[in-house]
Amino acid sequence: MSEQTKVGASAAQAVEQGGIFAKLLVFAALLAIAPIASYFLSKDYLWDGNTVFAAITAIIAANAVLIGYIIVSIREERLGTTARGPAESKKNR
Amino acid sequence: MSVCPPYAPFFGFGGVASAMIFSTVGAAFGTSKAGIGIAGLGTFKPELIMKSLIPVVMSGIIAVYGLVVSVLIAGGLRPNDYSLYAGFIHLGAGLACGLTGLAAGYAIGFVGDSCVRAYVHESKVFVAMVLILIFGEVLGLYGLIVALIMNSRATEAPSCT
Repeated sequence: MSEQTKVGASAAQAVEQGGIFAKLLVFAALLAIAPIASYFLSKDYLWDGNTVFAAITAIIAANAVLIGYIIVSIREERLGTTARGPAESKKNR
Repeated sequence: MSVCPPYAPFFGFGGVASAMIFSTVGAAFGTSKAGIGIAGLGTFKPELIMKSLIPVVMSGIIAVYGLVVSVLIAGGLRPNDYSLYAGFIHLGAGLACGLTGLAAGYAIGFVGDSCVRAYVHESKVFVAMVLILIFGEVLGLYGLIVALIMNSRATEAPSCT
């Protein structure tokens, strides 16, 4: 019985790690692409060739990715503790 | 002494290179130092890894600052009609952004390493860690602002007649 719970726990861990890995990959790609893309796109379409405003837009995009990552990581931790809380109380019973 | 000597683009390209190189050195130091702490934390509490990767993301943003300034300066370089004044401005802008990025990455590395190790024992360290990291990253932002201001003066460079 304990072996089955161990296998179940490691499978759940593998799924959890796959989800975290996907999130991290998305944020890494966003951090690489969003600032440069926003620089060039805003320079041509928003600011009419003004490079200073385009650079400021790129900086805002990079910091938006950072703030998004902080929010996602805090929410992930909250979800993790509430999911583990009821499971642990069931085990204690 | 002419206003537009042929070696003027040397300084311009030096600015482009130094912005990218030094900010990347800072970001690499920050990433690696914080990564050491995260590896230490991961052996005790793997569920905290997602939150403790914040110093690494902030180091990446320091490198993005250097990248943006490099692209910005490189957009203003010209094969002809490029004065030494513009060359020096571009060199100064690149150095300002690059070396402040180096300083910011240095700070983020040390703070990230020790705060992430402390986060294993005390969860209230997280808010303090984010605050200190933001103050460290703002150093790179100041360098970027100065680089932007300097670069905007390069358009009033004298023409080579």
